[in-house]
Parts: sequence; C-alpha cells; structure tokens
Amino acid sequence: MAIVEVENLRKEYGGFAAVEGSTFSIERGEVFGIVGPNGAGKTTTLKMIAGLIEPTDGTATVAGHTPGEPAMQRRLGFLPEESPLYEEMTALEYLTFFADLYDVPSEVARERIDRTLDRLDLEHRTRRIGNMSKGMKRKVAIARALVNDPEVLIFDEPASGLDPLTTNYIIEFTRELSEAGKTIIFSAHNLFHVESICDRVAVMNHGRIVARGTVDEIRGTHGGTEYHVYATVDASHALGEISASRENDQVRHVVGGMDDVESIREAVDAEGGRITDIQTTTPSLEEIFLEIASGSDAEGTARSDTETEADADTTDPEEELEA
Amino acid sequence: MSDDRSSSESIRRHLASLRRGAVGSFRRTARIARWEISRSAGTVDRRTIVAVAAILVVVGGVGLSVAEDGIGLEDELYVVGVDSDDPYADVATESDRFRTIALEDVRIDEGGDSNVDVVVTRDGELGYVGDNGEQAFHAFREAIEAENADRMAAEDDDVAAYPVLVTVEYQERETGMAAESGDGGSDTGGDVIGTDGVDADESAADDDTEIVDTDGDTAVADSDTTSSDSEAADSGGDRGASDDDTTDAAGDVVGSDGSGSDDDVGSPETTTDVTSPTADGEFQVPDVGATATEETSPATPDTLSPPFPFQSLVLAFLFIVPMNFVIQTYGSTIMDERIKRRGELLLVSPSSRYEIVAGKTLPYLLGLVGIVVATAAVIGGRTLSVAAAIPIALVFLASTFAGAMLARSFKELTFVTVTISVLLTTYTFVPAIFTEVTPIALISPLTLVVMDLQGESVRLVEYLFSTTPFYLSAAVLFLLGIGIYREEDMFAQKPVPAKIVDAITSQIDAVSRRVSSYWSPFVLSVVFMPFVFAAQLLAVALLFVVPESIALIVMFVLAAAVEEFAKSIHVYAGFARSRFEPTIRVAAILGALSGLGFFVGEKITHVGQFVGLSDLPISVAAFGPELGADLPLVVLLALFLAPLALHVVTAIISATGARRGRGTYAVAFVVATLVHALYNLGVILLVS
Repeated sequence: MAIVEVENLRKEYGGFAAVEGSTFSIERGEVFGIVGPNGAGKTTTLKMIAGLIEPTDGTATVAGHTPGEPAMQRRLGFLPEESPLYEEMTALEYLTFFADLYDVPSEVARERIDRTLDRLDLEHRTRRIGNMSKGMKRKVAIARALVNDPEVLIFDEPASGLDPLTTNYIIEFTRELSEAGKTIIFSAHNLFHVESICDRVAVMNHGRIVARGTVDEIRGTHGGTEYHVYATVDASHALGEISASRENDQVRHVVGGMDDVESIREAVDAEGGRITDIQTTTPSLEEIFLEIASGSDAEGTARSDTETEADADTTDPEEELEA
Repeated sequence: MSDDRSSSESIRRHLASLRRGAVGSFRRTARIARWEISRSAGTVDRRTIVAVAAILVVVGGVGLSVAEDGIGLEDELYVVGVDSDDPYADVATESDRFRTIALEDVRIDEGGDSNVDVVVTRDGELGYVGDNGEQAFHAFREAIEAENADRMAAEDDDVAAYPVLVTVEYQERETGMAAESGDGGSDTGGDVIGTDGVDADESAADDDTEIVDTDGDTAVADSDTTSSDSEAADSGGDRGASDDDTTDAAGDVVGSDGSGSDDDVGSPETTTDVTSPTADGEFQVPDVGATATEETSPATPDTLSPPFPFQSLVLAFLFIVPMNFVIQTYGSTIMDERIKRRGELLLVSPSSRYEIVAGKTLPYLLGLVGIVVATAAVIGGRTLSVAAAIPIALVFLASTFAGAMLARSFKELTFVTVTISVLLTTYTFVPAIFTEVTPIALISPLTLVVMDLQGESVRLVEYLFSTTPFYLSAAVLFLLGIGIYREEDMFAQKPVPAKIVDAITSQIDAVSRRVSSYWSPFVLSVVFMPFVFAAQLLAVALLFVVPESIALIVMFVLAAAVEEFAKSIHVYAGFARSRFEPTIRVAAILGALSGLGFFVGEKITHVGQFVGLSDLPISVAAFGPELGADLPLVVLLALFLAPLALHVVTAIISATGARRGRGTYAVAFVVATLVHALYNLGVILLVS
C-alpha cells in the first residue's frame, strides 16, 4: 500500500521548471532513493513532499494527507541537506523543544531522545551544539528528525560532507530504521550509499525523472559505475583481471558491481586484512546521469529504457510530458 | 427530528474541533515563545547584559530625575552677587538656576568682564553686568515673582493674597476656524490687542479671554497664547500697558510669556476664560490639545503653562528609547532564522507559520509592554500612557519583522532597523511637539502620552484617531511578513521589490482560498487603508511648515499618488505572479473592485473629521472637503458617490497597465494619479 503518492508534481521559478511532472509512489516500509546531479530537482521534490515548497502544479500526499496539514507533518521526519541547528542550545534542550512542538509527552520524549542518542553514539548531550563537531551535529539533526517517531522519513544527503566513518554509521543507522519499518525517501550523490540501502531509485535530471526502478535495473542498463574498494591487503586475485593499485599503505581495487565488492570483501577477510573505504568514482556516477540525460534528450521524449516499473497507480512522467 | 439531532451533534463536534484547534495553536505558540526566550538567553553574553542593565539604569534615572526635578538644563546657570543676610539671597539660593557669591567677592573688570551676572546691592538695588547679565536679571526677577507667589500661597487670607483670581476654563473650539483665525482679539468692553494687532471678530468667543473686574465690567480678549506678545488690558481703561513689570504679581494678568498688563483694581472675583493655545493666522490651526478640561483654582500669571510641553515631551520620549533597542534583537532573531536557514525545521513541524511568528514575537512584545508599564510607573503616566505606547511598540515590532523578512543580509537589516528607528521616532515624536498647538499632533500616539502627563483628558475618538492606524498598520505588516515566511522567500536572495510582490501575492492567495481571487483587490484595498491614512497624515505633518500655496499643490499630487498606489499595487502583483488572466476584461473587473474597496475603506477612515483635522486647508487637500449640510440632497448624493466613480475609473486605468508588465503599469499609474489629482482640485474648487 502506497504511503507516499506524488502525482505530476511541478515547480516553476519565473518560467524555469525546477521540477517537471514528477510522478511516483512509495510503499510503506520502502526505502526510495532519489539520485541525480546538482540542480536535478531532487531537493525541490523532497521539499514539496515535506510541505516546505508549494508546488506550481500536481499533488503530493503522505498517508493521505496533503503537505502543510498538521496531521501530515506529525507523520513526517525531515532531514535537510544542510540542517543548521540552534548552536546556543544543548543537544538535549534542542531535541526536547522539538519533541514538545510535536506534542510528544515529556517522559516519552526523554526516553526516545536517550535511546536515539545512545544508538547514534552521541555523548555530551548537554554540551552546546555550537561546540560539537560536524559529525556530532549531523547526529543531533538525525535525532531531531526522529523525535516524533515518524512513519515517513525524508533524508536529503544525510552523509554529505562527513568523514567515511560517520558516513557508514549514518548509512547503517538508516538501514536499521528501514528494518524497523520506517518508510524512507533518501537522496544522495553517492550511488554506493543509494544502492546499498534503497529498494528502488528514481534518477532525476533537469527536473525530470529520467529513470526509475531498482538499483540493479538502472545499473544494468546504463552501467559505467566503478567501485573503488580500499583495503589493507591486495585481494585482486579473487576476481582475476581487475584493476588494483597501491596507494600509500592501501590497495585500491576498482570493480564494476556490488557482487565484485562482496568478492573483494571476502578475499580481504581471508587474507586477514580489512576494508578501509568503499567509494564510487564521481565521474562514473556522472556518466550514468549524463548518459541517461543525453539519451532522453536525444529521444526527445526523455523516456528511459530503464522504465521497468509499471505500477498501476502511477503515471509515467515521460508519457505525461508527451501528452 | 433525527436530522436536527445529527445537525446539532455536527455543530457540537465542529465547535469542539475548533476549540481543540485554538487550544493547540495557543500551546504551540506558547512553546515557541518559551523556547525563544531560553534560546535568546543563550545568545546573550555578560557584556551585553551589563550594557543593557546600564541603559535601563540610565533611562530609569533620567525618567525619575526629570519627573521629579524637571529637565535641569539651567541648573546654576547664573551667578548672583548678594550678601547672605540679604532677603534676596534666599531667592537665589532656593532656585536651581542661580549660584550665589558674597558681595565682597564680586569682581568687575574695566573691560566689563565679571564673575557675576546679577548684583544685589546692600541698599536693595538690582543690577546686572556682562553678556548674560540681562537674561540673568530677568530670570532673577522671575524667581522673585515665584518666591512672592509661594509666600502668597502660604497666606491664610486668600483675598489678601490674591486680589485677582483666575479661573481657567478650557472649552471645545467651534469649527470654522479659517474664518476666525488671523484675528487678534475682540473688543467688547476693554481693549485687547492680539498678536497681529487686529481686533477680533466677536464670533471667536471660544478663544476669548474674559476678564471681569470688581465692578462687573467684562472685557473679552482673544488670547493668542502661542504668541509671545499676548497682551491684555482691564476694563477700567488701563489698556495696552503690557510690560515686564511682573514683580507686581498681584493684579496682573499675564500672557503666556509672562508679560502682563496692569490691572490695578484688586478683585477676589475675577474670572479669566482662557482657551488652550491657538496657532497663528498663517497656518490656521484650530485648538484641540486642551479640550474637555475645566479648572478653577487660584493662580498667578507665572503658573500658566507655555504651549511647548518640554518636560512631558522628554518623559514621553522615554517610551520610545527602549523600543529602538528591542527591535535590534528582534530583527536579528528573525534574520538568524533566514540567513542561517534555521527556520526551515520549524516550518516542517506541525506549527503553522502564524504560530511560529507569533511565538517568536511574543517575548519581545511582552518585554516591551513590561518596559512601557515600568516607564509609565516611573514617570507618573497613567493607563492612557500605556495604552498609547503599546500600539507604537506594535508598529516597531511589525515593521522590523517585515523589514527583516525583506532584508537579504545583516548589513541590509542594519539599514532597515535604523530606517525604522528614525522614521517611527520622527513620526511619533515630532507631531507630539505640537500637542498644545494643532490637531495634527494627534497623528502620533505619543501626543496622547504627553496629554496624559499634562493631566489632560483624552476623548475616545481622539485615542482611536491616534492609535487605530498604528494597530492596523502593525497587523498588515505582520500579515505581509508572514506571507513570505516560507521556504521559497525566506532563504532566497530575491530582490526586495520581488519579495514585496510575493508578500502581497500571498495575501491574494489567502483571499482567493476563502472567497475568490477576483475579490482580493477589494479586500486588499481596504486592508492597505491604514498605510494610506498614515502616509497622508505624515505628509500633512511634514507639509505643515511649508508655505500653504506650495504645500497644497504638493499635497494634491502626493495624496493622489498614495491612494492610486494602494489601489493598484496588489493588482499588479496578481498579474506579475500569474494569479489573474491578463485580459482587458479581467483588468477592468479587478480595477472596479479595487476602486470599490478603496471607497469603502476611505469612508471608514473619515474619523479625521471628528477631531477637527478637517479644519486645515492642507488636510482638506489630503482628505477632501467636508460636505456642506446646506447643499441639496441630489448634490450631496453626487458628491458622496463621485469618489466611488473616481476610484473605480483610476483603478481600472492602473489595472489595465498592470496586466502588461512593470513599464506599462508605471505609465498607467502616473495617468491615474494625474486624473485623481485633477479631480481633487476640481471638487475643492466646486465646494468652496
């Protein structure tokens, strides 16, 4: 059953269409990724769903409520890409205030805040937010998004600008939330993060959804993604001919899919080493976007071959455009 | 029966839902307010606390000092050389204006330089030396008069002490000032010479000074107390003898400057009917400042108040000072939400933007109310002072909020808050200077504070006249600001005009949701009326000092431009943001409804006529003439409806231009303004 319904969403700024005819639905408990280059319209779409931006046209509903309704806002947790906090307050004061604003009983709020901060491994909760590191601040922001125990979470670039350790922590936490039954809309540049936790993905470019489906479906069609697996030992033998190079005291393995990453991981474990980082190369990600975008531009209709999904209750955005 | 039951059940549920909604809204607002206080407290460092405390101490100290001791600018201004055992030494010692030195210490150089200003010789002669000597001499004589007055006041035998008793009666002035003013005085028994030396029309009875001496003769004088040369004479023929011989306090009737005319016939039953001050003939201002009060008490000439309420004005100004500081903090907190994007997370909460703004504003409003109440308590103001100062505080906050929503940086915010401080302080303070002189002063609620401090009563209509534009302007400014308290405008670096258009468009949307987009020009024309009223009153106040021939022409055009702008800017905003279809037909409908709305709003604001403002020629240019009651009904009806036709036609002109863009709107606006100005001129010529 769809908990989020987006239909023909459109946002125009002075004649420029930031989002054009976005249509999709998200099932309860699903993790839905929205990816795309800067200026693709991801954040605008998320903000329209959250009720921050009024659509020029189209509708978005969460659990049957339109954005702006208090009943809808109570069901939603929103983590913007940049979430400036009130730095003069302590983490506890800040979270308690937002819990109060969402009418969460104080005892429930205290227990929920403690539990979330424990899980996020955030100490110094009575320290002023202004004195915290960037990673700690991001954890406070995530805790704030959860303070009302929302059914739907919107995470816009949750790990943007954070170190790999904190990034992995946040991605793992997001996965746990998904397993706990939360519906999550997730936006990121890093395709690895997206494909590691998202059930389905919509690729946006120039304000339009140009591809939609599972991660494998999209990658299978467009390819080009390279995963750079950094390990303390050389495990390239596990996959035969793959690119591996030594950088300082680490070995970088370049592979083309998640199965290969898993193989590298097993090989590294067998060698007694450990994986220090996994990255997708930015050009590869951009290549996918550019390929999809240029393909859709060439076709004129911007219709992607990766449109494998045929939800009966959703309208194909590209067909809408054609119409 | 069951239908009735279900219907009443439905109503009950609806009411319960509304009540829950209101309670929930109130709770969320209170939470945000509480949080704003605790959050702001975290931003204040010790230095700021010390600085604010110092300011409060200074303001409080000044208030207390002025309230108890007066301004104190003349303390020990003059030096009197007098022996300590001389009777005049007590006069000099007891007055703050003088410092005494012994006669043997007095030094007078050959060049005229001296260490004293006034000298009291051992044989009782008074003299003065030096540049300040003459002024010091007059001041010393005033002090002697005051000393004599005090002694007389202490005298048990009133008749012996006060051979002439003065009854001061303030009477409401009749209209038709234009015909009366300029005349100096009237002559019904005694000769009285006014400022310009022209005998007055007898119809100016309410401005007359009536002096009755012992034998019952009556002299009527048109006492122009704004003048420094008011003269009066008794009925016994001792006329025009005004001089500075005020040491002879008993029997003298003195004008506002302390000069007096001899009235050497002592009388225990002398009555003086003195109206409050009137203006000179050039500007033809009626009196309003001292209406509705009556006082009969023994008085000496030097106790008559001058027309310039200096002390009350300084005390009233103390209400304004803290407001200028509070808006700095308030503007910063709104700006913080925008520049640092911190407000975004509040906007996705269940709180509406109205609740957020109310919650963030409430602590500052309550703080200002507290300061106002405390200030009133310190300086001796009553409830009226508080009731008059609160709308000023509201406008300070509302304009700061709107300004902070428009500013794109803290640098711009500084410009905005300084502009608000200067404009509002000027708007409130300058008119209050004329409290005793002209009804124009009533455009400022601070005038009500001055009147309150002077012990004068204020009619309800005067309170409404002064404060309603402030209340309504504050409401409209808050609404416009809240209109752009949303993600798209708060965090975007849009040009200020674009944001203003957005703010107005948000109100068009609000009306459209409730009624219809076509009615939004009607509603907004009414809503903008307080700004029109305030702008025109401000123009009247500013042009008050300009020669009338120039002021009237400027006022004709300015008043028309202000009204045409208020009638058309929302129509332009609607077209610019694609809320209306840009066709001639739609423009005509919108223009007609805008004109109709403005007409309705204009009729509501004719409260000015109740306070005598319509007596001023320049006010007539701004607000139009009063319709004569002696005109035929058809003519009256035509004159009543003619403005409707004007507003509709000119609004249609502007709307037609607005549908095509900014350039054509500007041209159409100029045309509409000229048509409007010519209409105003024509009507005034016709009526006069």
